[in-house]
Amino acid sequence: MNAVQEQPSVIRSYYEKLAQGKLLAVTCKSCGTHTFPPTGCCERCGSWEVEPVELSGEATLLYATHNLSPACHPRFEKIAPYVYGHLRLKEGPIVQAIILGVEPKPAALRELFERGPVPAVAETLQMDDLPVLAFRIRA
Amino acid sequence: MRNQLKERVAISGVGCSRFGDLLRTPDLKGLTIQELTARAVKEALDDAGLTGQDVDAVFAGNAMVHSSQVPATYSQLSKWTGTQFKAGVHFEAQCSTTNIGAILAAMSIAAGVYDTVLVFGLETTRTKVKGHSPYEREPISHQQTWLWTDMAVNQAYAVAQGYDIFSTYNGLVSLGYCRKYGVSIEDFDRSMYELCRTRRFHGSLNPKANIQETLEARAARAGYSDPYEYWQSDEHNPFVAWPSRLLSLVTTADGASAMVLTRADLARGGKSQPVEVKGFGVSYSDLPWYGEDPTYWEFDRRAVDAAFDMAGIKAADIDYLHTHDCSHISSICTAETIGYLEPGKGLQAAREGRLRFDGDRPMSTHGGRHAFGHAWGASAGSDTYEAVLQMRGQAGARQIPKAPEVSVIHTHGYAMIGAVLVLGSM
Ligand SMILES: [Zn+2]
Repeated sequence: MNAVQEQPSVIRSYYEKLAQGKLLAVTCKSCGTHTFPPTGCCERCGSWEVEPVELSGEATLLYATHNLSPACHPRFEKIAPYVYGHLRLKEGPIVQAIILGVEPKPAALRELFERGPVPAVAETLQMDDLPVLAFRIRA
Repeated sequence: MRNQLKERVAISGVGCSRFGDLLRTPDLKGLTIQELTARAVKEALDDAGLTGQDVDAVFAGNAMVHSSQVPATYSQLSKWTGTQFKAGVHFEAQCSTTNIGAILAAMSIAAGVYDTVLVFGLETTRTKVKGHSPYEREPISHQQTWLWTDMAVNQAYAVAQGYDIFSTYNGLVSLGYCRKYGVSIEDFDRSMYELCRTRRFHGSLNPKANIQETLEARAARAGYSDPYEYWQSDEHNPFVAWPSRLLSLVTTADGASAMVLTRADLARGGKSQPVEVKGFGVSYSDLPWYGEDPTYWEFDRRAVDAAFDMAGIKAADIDYLHTHDCSHISSICTAETIGYLEPGKGLQAAREGRLRFDGDRPMSTHGGRHAFGHAWGASAGSDTYEAVLQMRGQAGARQIPKAPEVSVIHTHGYAMIGAVLVLGSM
């Protein structure tokens, strides 16, 4: 019996790359827009002609707040409450993700808010069953 | 797109259950989901002077089938609503469900396919089926509610990687608003208090609201003479996503709503005063819902523009506005996008009491998602129900002094479908 060949999956590739500390996106061959996280087409023009591209992980953290404990999703119970932020990646896409390097407390978040946008860099956070994207505020 | 209705369409009947908890709220305790839905449907059909056999089609909305467990809602509810042998379908657009149903009904009527359509929505976000019982229910935990609800949110990447509704919908939007308009965190907190006070005041005037206790009465019950001290207490009103607090959020509810839509010429001779569907607009977006500026949501802009274009209205024509207020700060941002409130002045308007039913910019007079409560797929219908009551002058103690002639109802169907409905008196 022949083995059934596994079809490629962009989602599976994203998490496999993330486990290696890499950020996978796709770039549109027609309009040049990055779609991040990646899908099979361009989020701006709808073209199917996209190719994988690795992003730098450099970002600007625009705003940061926190979540609740217990978390809405059991995967994150162990780390809740955590800081959750709104970022602009160096390559353009806007992303929201877990933020490392600041306490999930009003005083710390207020101090950060008053500083204004700060540089941050992508970091892979290994949960029990999945690597997830986080960003660490640069010292 | 042509963006026009080829025939005039009206809402000729509306119905809505009380919102609350099927295990303990007065008027709801002990009801099954079938009987809950039938109540809203009966009210709407009675209002239109029809029976279920008088309609041509039924659009049955329900979003969170995990708790309701009535997929194929059209047939499962047909003998409870008197609509056997009708055309119909089960559909969902999460928290925009019922108004998307109204939009689909309007399109089918204007296209000349149906004359009269019944739309209903049902949802249980507080209780779920107990075991395999046909009538017993049990509470849903906070985490379970959000795990099921968030199935409507980007499952590939967002929920999987720590997405949090309170952060994305409340905390980050609040910070964006404060930075953009130079609002201090203290002023923001005070404004959110005033907004909650208004919404709960409206709830206290509405016998169908989930919460009918004013914020002041709630504070007094907890032993606070100053309700703002209660508002700022970590025990009673913690930060769920700093600087946003618990009482600026949705409260979950079980509930059902219904409406009858028909050709405007048929509605004129009907039992109750009809309200015309002047226009609508719909636009959806995956995350992120906003770019660098968390106060500006592109899909809302597009939905509003399409609705205003179809209806031939501008912001200044609006007498009553409901914006989706699952998150109080987001509801203010949307009202500013629409142009009902001046950009950057929405919080001030809330503090000045202008958003009350007797203010000059009335909003969410039923109590909104916080006080009226939120039963996902039934909620948009509750907003339309309130708008129709206000336009008919039937809103009782919370009646807007001069009954609105143009109402706009905006809802966010998670996650996200912006739906805007423009209603006009006939
Ligand atoms: Zn493109």
